[in-house]
Amino acid sequence: MTRAQQTLSIGLLVASVYMVAFLGLAPLPAVIQNELIPVLPIWAIVSFGAYLLFKLGYGVLTFNDVPEARAELMREIQEAREELKKKGVEVD
Amino acid sequence: MSTPNNNLLDRLVGLSMLVLATTVFLYYTIWTLLLPFVDPTHPLQSAFPPRVWAIRIPVILILLGGAVVGSFLGMVMIRSNRKKALKAQQKKAS
Repeated sequence: MTRAQQTLSIGLLVASVYMVAFLGLAPLPAVIQNELIPVLPIWAIVSFGAYLLFKLGYGVLTFNDVPEARAELMREIQEAREELKKKGVEVD
Repeated sequence: MSTPNNNLLDRLVGLSMLVLATTVFLYYTIWTLLLPFVDPTHPLQSAFPPRVWAIRIPVILILLGGAVVGSFLGMVMIRSNRKKALKAQQKKAS
């Protein structure tokens, strides 16, 4: 089963369960529940946005510099530049 | 390439994004999922605007975000098309 099929089937399942609840086809406990069900999709979208922001922030927070890799990269760039100049190509 | 020590600023930005995301999630969850079960006379209700806004604010933000992204895309495409037309004109003239 491909990842797309899996995602699609889970999505369909969630959608059908939500439809049953939304259309009142299943008797739900209280009138209050009929104030909670309609906001669930928007809540899901907002929570997803918050989750993405959290993930981004966490990545930025734990991003570490690697000075040796930077020095090595600079050196490699310099070597490549000189080699190309020998062959007549100007780079910058 | 980037300045040698912007570490502190980076961590601050990351941390603030984290805190903002958590705050938004908690506030919005309490607003939409918890408040219906709370007494209308409870003092907690006073910390939240009327619940209609819980729907309006995200919708407005999404529409605004879509408008910003769409206009940015449109500007970039118009600019690139203009450049292409200019180049085609120059080629024809030469």
